[in-house]
Amino acid sequence: MVLKAFFPTCCTSADSGLLVGRWVPEQSSAVVLAVVHFPFIPIQVKELLAQVQQASRVSLAVLGTWCHRQQESEESLGHFLEGLGAIFSHEPWLQLCRERGSKFWSCKATHQQRPGTPGVSSEDHVMLIFYDQRKVLLSHLHSPTVLPDCQAGDATASAEGLAAIFDTVSRSEVLFCKNQFDEGPVRLSHWQSEGVEASILVELAKQASGPVCLLVACLLSLVSASGSCRLWKLWPLPFIASKLSTCEQLRHRLEHLTLVFSTQKAQSPAQLMRKANMLVSMLLDVALGLTLLSWLHSSNRIGQLANALIPMADATGLWPFVSAPARACVHWACLGLELVPLSSLLVLMLILTAHPSNNNNTTAASPHVAEELQHLLQWLMGAPAGLKMNRALDQVLGRFFLYHIHLWISYIHLMSPFIERILWHVGLSACLGLTVALSILSDILALLTFHIYCFYVYGARLYCLKICGLSSLWRLFRGKKWNVLRQRVDSCSYDLDQLFIGTLLFTILVFLLPTTALYYLVFTLLRLLVVTVQGLIHLLVDLINSLPLYSLGLRLCRPYRLAAGVKFHVLEHEAGRPLRLLMQINPLPYSSVVHTYRLPSSGCHPKHSWGSLCRKLFFGELIYPWKQRGDKQD
Amino acid sequence: MCDQTVTNTEEVKWQKVLYKRQPFPDNYVDRRFLEELRKNIYARKYQYWAVVFESSVVIQQLCSVCVFVVIWWYMDEGLLAPHWLLGTGLASSLIGYVLFDLIDGGEGRQKSGRTRWADLKSALVFITFTYGFSPVLKTLTESVSTDTIYAMSVFMLLGHLIFFDYGANAAIVSSTLSLNMAIFASVCLASRLPRSLHAFIMVTFAIQIFALWPMLQKKLKACTPRSYVGVTLLFAFSAFGGLLSISAVGAVLFALLLFSISCLCPFYLIRLQLFKENIHGPWDEAEIKEDLSRFLS
Repeated sequence: MVLKAFFPTCCTSADSGLLVGRWVPEQSSAVVLAVVHFPFIPIQVKELLAQVQQASRVSLAVLGTWCHRQQESEESLGHFLEGLGAIFSHEPWLQLCRERGSKFWSCKATHQQRPGTPGVSSEDHVMLIFYDQRKVLLSHLHSPTVLPDCQAGDATASAEGLAAIFDTVSRSEVLFCKNQFDEGPVRLSHWQSEGVEASILVELAKQASGPVCLLVACLLSLVSASGSCRLWKLWPLPFIASKLSTCEQLRHRLEHLTLVFSTQKAQSPAQLMRKANMLVSMLLDVALGLTLLSWLHSSNRIGQLANALIPMADATGLWPFVSAPARACVHWACLGLELVPLSSLLVLMLILTAHPSNNNNTTAASPHVAEELQHLLQWLMGAPAGLKMNRALDQVLGRFFLYHIHLWISYIHLMSPFIERILWHVGLSACLGLTVALSILSDILALLTFHIYCFYVYGARLYCLKICGLSSLWRLFRGKKWNVLRQRVDSCSYDLDQLFIGTLLFTILVFLLPTTALYYLVFTLLRLLVVTVQGLIHLLVDLINSLPLYSLGLRLCRPYRLAAGVKFHVLEHEAGRPLRLLMQINPLPYSSVVHTYRLPSSGCHPKHSWGSLCRKLFFGELIYPWKQRGDKQD
Repeated sequence: MCDQTVTNTEEVKWQKVLYKRQPFPDNYVDRRFLEELRKNIYARKYQYWAVVFESSVVIQQLCSVCVFVVIWWYMDEGLLAPHWLLGTGLASSLIGYVLFDLIDGGEGRQKSGRTRWADLKSALVFITFTYGFSPVLKTLTESVSTDTIYAMSVFMLLGHLIFFDYGANAAIVSSTLSLNMAIFASVCLASRLPRSLHAFIMVTFAIQIFALWPMLQKKLKACTPRSYVGVTLLFAFSAFGGLLSISAVGAVLFALLLFSISCLCPFYLIRLQLFKENIHGPWDEAEIKEDLSRFLS
């Protein structure tokens, strides 16, 4: 059986002494933590070990002897060291020896006490593995993802052994607090024996963090107490708050703050990392927000923004930007039919007319943009692309929507004097962070495109009604009906008047369907565009919210802190000599860093698959960027 | 050896079973092999005039479609005043309604348990809905081209003729679908008429001719076959006359179609019976004689 001895690289040049460490019987490996130098009194060494063991709960023991032979040959020392085995009894007893040059090492592990045959010792093969004590101490080992192949059992077994070694080193941190400047009875040699690593800034921050956390936690408890006040539970407020992404984002950030500044200590390294990630993400967020704020408030950009925003909202919110693609979509939809040159001319014309409104040319842009949607509606009210539409229904729908636009324009005119002031105040919210500012932007977008939403809902409801009616009347047309109890289509004998009225309605609905479908298509495209823009903003917010920046920074600057595993370099492999390996830490890949430490996002977005989205669009069901109550159930 | 086998065959009787080892070669065919074969046991002997009588259902339905199209043509051309059609339709409906009860002395009504109040309600529903929707019907297909409408109507009327319940017991027959297709076609055609009153009267007429008239026919055929023949002849001649006033070629073709269906097709059917060779035997599928439909409902 091969015995593995883990030996810290910092102790290779230490004086002769005793090896202190832990014996892991399951892996048959000995983890050497430090070397105790001569002279010592055995009782004091045992006392020290007992103290450390009490503090760290690692069963420490004297594992064997370390002999570093300097120039003079010390035969007597060898005998003395062998004699120590009787004082510190351990099974097996390691005898490490470094020869004069640095190249020759010898290593023996002896089993002494055999009950039947005292004095007869058996020897094992020993594999010597060097490790960097500092890196192993600081690194956090990540258990590998389970391999699917047949070697999964081996991999988990070896990973457990590795984890035991990392755990031993990191838990016995107390042992490394003593350096050579301490006046202690026992002299140790380990990675900090030359002096303890520390930083003034870190110490100051540690001292300050306690009171700061307490203060902020008090403030946060005040805020959350006012947030849970009964006034906010009145009817419309929770509903509105659940639909506004700003509220969601603020709630999310409040949770983060509460977690980061909680007065309890982090339980595990993962939780500590999570807290650090949250803090860094929040700091970055606020820094970006402040940058945005300073940019906005320099050279009256808010006024310009307001001036640009009013004409945009005047017609269809983002119409100048969206008109070209939206109409192109409509144009493609109609392309298969007729009037290709006319439609393309129309699209070209629309792009040309929409262009001047991008240049803050408000006086010229405003009437243009207002006309845009009216033009679209008038185009729809005619015979768009030669589609066979029902003229009467077309006129009714067109006038209805035109009246809505009229209402919207008057609302915007009423609002326009206040927009700059509102924007100024909203801009202040950027100091809460870029994500909050983005969420507010998303909400403003939603509010300014409210009429598109209304159009979409009207169109979708009408279309849904028609589709449902047609599907059930088609069953009636074939003499079938939907059996609710058995969830299938059954044949059914209808009365004469039922048949007559059903067929009459079926005919009417069939001939009116294209008109409704076209209106639905156009407004759905507009709505999808708005939803897409909102979705992109939410994606950005989620990215800032959930990206583990601290972990990524650690991975970049201190790769050994996040260990995925280890690799071994062969230092010496000769017959008759112990195999010597150097253990190096494999850093965690970036993808798994992101995967492991990703912060949970606020999660108010529905997870639509493309198929279900298309199905919903086809059947005229409403699609929302936020999560529905029904979605949570399935 | 040969003698032995011969004596064996005489002694042992051949049996038409595979589970027994028998002293015959594999390709042996006994004389009794096909003795259970029967031919044409279910074949019917048709009487020519009976077949002609039965084909009158098809004639009637063809004539109905023809009369409907002819009336629509007159309405579209403005040759027929809608009031006149409404009056005629109402009068004939009333007469038909009275006849419907008179023919079998009210037996059918008692059997179905349908009250006169229900009839009145149905009639009211028809008239109210048709009248209410007639302006919608008028503008429904304005932007659709006339050819599309014609094509759709032709397909629908053909479908009506195909799926109509002529009394055959086949899977394709669906009186619901047939009636619905006829109504769809009539709505399509009515939407091309100049005014909404025209559309209303056209749809009402369609209900009369496609829904009510076949019900009366069925009863006439069951109770008074002679008068049914007379009515059929009258109806066919009136359809022919109407078509003749529009197009002579069409009328001749229609007459040829009616003649071939009512005279040539039955003759051909009876001729073809001679070539019938249905074989029956113990290999037939098992047939369940008892009526099991009550278990399947």
